[in-house]
Amino acid sequence: MIHPNPDIALSKCIIYFNDGNSRTFYSFDRKHKRSKPNQALGIRRLEKMLLQHFKGTWETAIIYENKTNGKELAKFKNGIRVF
Amino acid sequence: MESKGIVKSNYDFGKLFTATKEFIDHYNRKHPQLKERLNANHRATAELITRLYAKQLNRTISLGQNIKDTLPGFKTFNPSLASCKGCTVRTIINHKERLKAAGFIIKEIHRGKSGIELWINPTVFKTKKLSTISNNIKTDIQTIKEVCDLEVKNFHPLVHEQQELKNNNNTVNKLTTPKKGVRLPAHKSTDNLVRGTSQEQYKNIRESRNSASKKQLQITKSTHAKEADSAFLLQLVRDFWSYTRLLLYPNTMLSKPEETEILNNIWASVYRKFKVHGSKKDWESYQEILYKRIDMVARWLDRNPNRWVPPPHLYFHPENKKNDFRKTHNWFLKQELLKREIRNQILIQKTESEWQDHKKGEGKHKNKSRLQLFRIQQKRLAQYRDERLLSQYEKSLHKMVNM
Repeated sequence: MIHPNPDIALSKCIIYFNDGNSRTFYSFDRKHKRSKPNQALGIRRLEKMLLQHFKGTWETAIIYENKTNGKELAKFKNGIRVF
Repeated sequence: MESKGIVKSNYDFGKLFTATKEFIDHYNRKHPQLKERLNANHRATAELITRLYAKQLNRTISLGQNIKDTLPGFKTFNPSLASCKGCTVRTIINHKERLKAAGFIIKEIHRGKSGIELWINPTVFKTKKLSTISNNIKTDIQTIKEVCDLEVKNFHPLVHEQQELKNNNNTVNKLTTPKKGVRLPAHKSTDNLVRGTSQEQYKNIRESRNSASKKQLQITKSTHAKEADSAFLLQLVRDFWSYTRLLLYPNTMLSKPEETEILNNIWASVYRKFKVHGSKKDWESYQEILYKRIDMVARWLDRNPNRWVPPPHLYFHPENKKNDFRKTHNWFLKQELLKREIRNQILIQKTESEWQDHKKGEGKHKNKSRLQLFRIQQKRLAQYRDERLLSQYEKSLHKMVNM
């Protein structure tokens, strides 16, 4: 199985869980192995992960661009998208 | 001045060739095996030797030497024969060997620097000698002239002679000047002093009609126009998306990359990447239709809370065949047709009621004749430019008049 690569991922998601833990997830931006990377696809996948897989387990989640001083792309609070 | 009794003797090329041919054919007939036979190449060499030998003999005859008793040998060089035939020296040597074996060449003497001497089979040469006693001086002179080497007719060689092809386009060793405006070759040392194009300066006073600066201006103008055009078209995409977002996806929040993806999808699927060429007006009217389609979808969504449209990245995806926005086109057309039908029905109902009022002597047109009323109605309906409406009107008119 191919996992997201933190070095080439275009965006990342930091989740602050209800139990106090926090974890960073990296986006998987390709439709298939040789496809052109699509950042929007990666963001949608992260969103799906937040709202379906980790539903109810986190308080805050923020999606950033995966680069130094990357901008915030989306912010979620208690399962609701803030921006 | 010449007497009638002069003996003219020369070798006729044609007869010599037939003799050569006969000799070789006779030889080939004798030898059934293919290896032993003389092939066409050998034949060509033999013919070449015959031709050159005959020429040599005729020349000696014209010089006044007596060759009646013994024929002199054919003096030649292997390389000259080779160049005449267009082959290598080795081939000539090989061919000579074959011809010697066949008996065409009887004897060969190598004379080192002065070449070789060949003796050809006397059956080819001896009997074919022409000797005529001239009766007419004029013809004699002509024949003498022909025999003379300088005046001898230039026969086509039987063997292909390779010649250097003349290249007329070549500028080498030509005194012609290069064309105007053509850059002189840099490697020519003599012309190196002249640089750039050779122009006639006095003719170059006025600015040409399409000068470089003007062209550049035109190009910039056209690019500006194109840019403006593309900016206008891309603005259409943005406007469409903002309108759609407002009506269909009022609560969805999208990040920048997501929005760009959607815009790209709209550009590809809704506007077909702007591959269809049209004026600004066309695009604006198309945009109006798109807005109407979006309105239609929004109304359809409002009518029932259970109805839904896919998320924007799927709704405008060019490969979505199932439930994409493009399907609303047929829907829109159907709706437009229906609307038109209803409008027509209303208009015709109005005309019918007018007719009924006119019959009763009531209404706006009570003082007008039937023809006048018909003209008024026809004029009014013609404004819609709908043939179907007019045909429907005719039908209803028939009905009303015949009632």
